[in-house]
Amino acid sequence: MSNNRVSRRQFLGYTLTGVGGFMAAGMLMPMVRFAVDPVLQQKDAGDYVLTGQAVSEITEEPVRVDFSYEQVDGWYTSDVTNSAWVYRDGDKLIALSPVCKHLGCTVNWGGDAEHPTQFFCPCHAGRYEKNGANIAGTPPIGPLDEFDVEDQDGFVAIGAVKENTLV
Amino acid sequence: MHFTSKDIDQYVGQKEYVDTAVIPLIELDLSANGMKASANASEYMQSLTAILEKQFKGRILLFPPVSYARESDRTKLAVDLQAELRKTSFQHVFYLTADAQWRALDDLPNVLWLPAIPTGDMDQTFKKSVMEDQLRQVLPLFMKEWTHHS
Ligand code: FES
Repeated sequence: MSNNRVSRRQFLGYTLTGVGGFMAAGMLMPMVRFAVDPVLQQKDAGDYVLTGQAVSEITEEPVRVDFSYEQVDGWYTSDVTNSAWVYRDGDKLIALSPVCKHLGCTVNWGGDAEHPTQFFCPCHAGRYEKNGANIAGTPPIGPLDEFDVEDQDGFVAIGAVKENTLV
Repeated sequence: MHFTSKDIDQYVGQKEYVDTAVIPLIELDLSANGMKASANASEYMQSLTAILEKQFKGRILLFPPVSYARESDRTKLAVDLQAELRKTSFQHVFYLTADAQWRALDDLPNVLWLPAIPTGDMDQTFKKSVMEDQLRQVLPLFMKEWTHHS
């Protein structure tokens, strides 16, 4: 009759196993996440972001090409939109970063009416040549950075940012 | 620049270049009817100031939004903010807001009032083009202020 009943000892046994297991899982889960997350998130430095800009429309006149990707900052994931100034040099595509090397404002091609064939920074009137070379006498101390750039099935794809190789 | 410890380190060394403070003013209306519009105004203001910061990173210090209750005394807020800003060396201070009450007050100089556009339900690309359009409305005001007194 009573052999079906759970004894006190058995009850404690079950309970403690249960709680212990739960605690172990609680400890393990974060460890597994720490171990796995970086692997899952690893983004290859050689990754290219495809843009909607057709390569055939790129001329020798720099145009702004936007591209977006996901950025994780601590707990916060956001869609970041960036842009590049893209032009053609012979049969090569060139993509320059729009970030001013003085203090980081966004530069514009032909942004200053007096210098229509230069990049112009509206913040402190920094100027750059078309290849990104900074113009002496204006605040920037170095040339604009360059992006790796590729033709992917007729569309511009932007890769990692690197130091200017044209100047 | 943003109001983060890293950007402030840079700001301290480059004060003569980072001469403009931008302060978003955001009203909190938490009533059942007002909450959604209030949230939208906050979202709009934060997107707008974020792209403004991106454009003028080296000249602007963007402060975190100053948020206050619907009933808050705006005149008092204006006095306090200005007193705080007097401790700094900013040449130009802009307040950006979607709160219409500031239009009737002239406690603060350079309040740019912009009616909030409901961007929350737009898709990303469309939202982006709308916000850039908004930026284009604001840019000339900054350029004008900078050329007038510098
Ligand atoms: S940030 Fe471009 S010139 Fe100063």
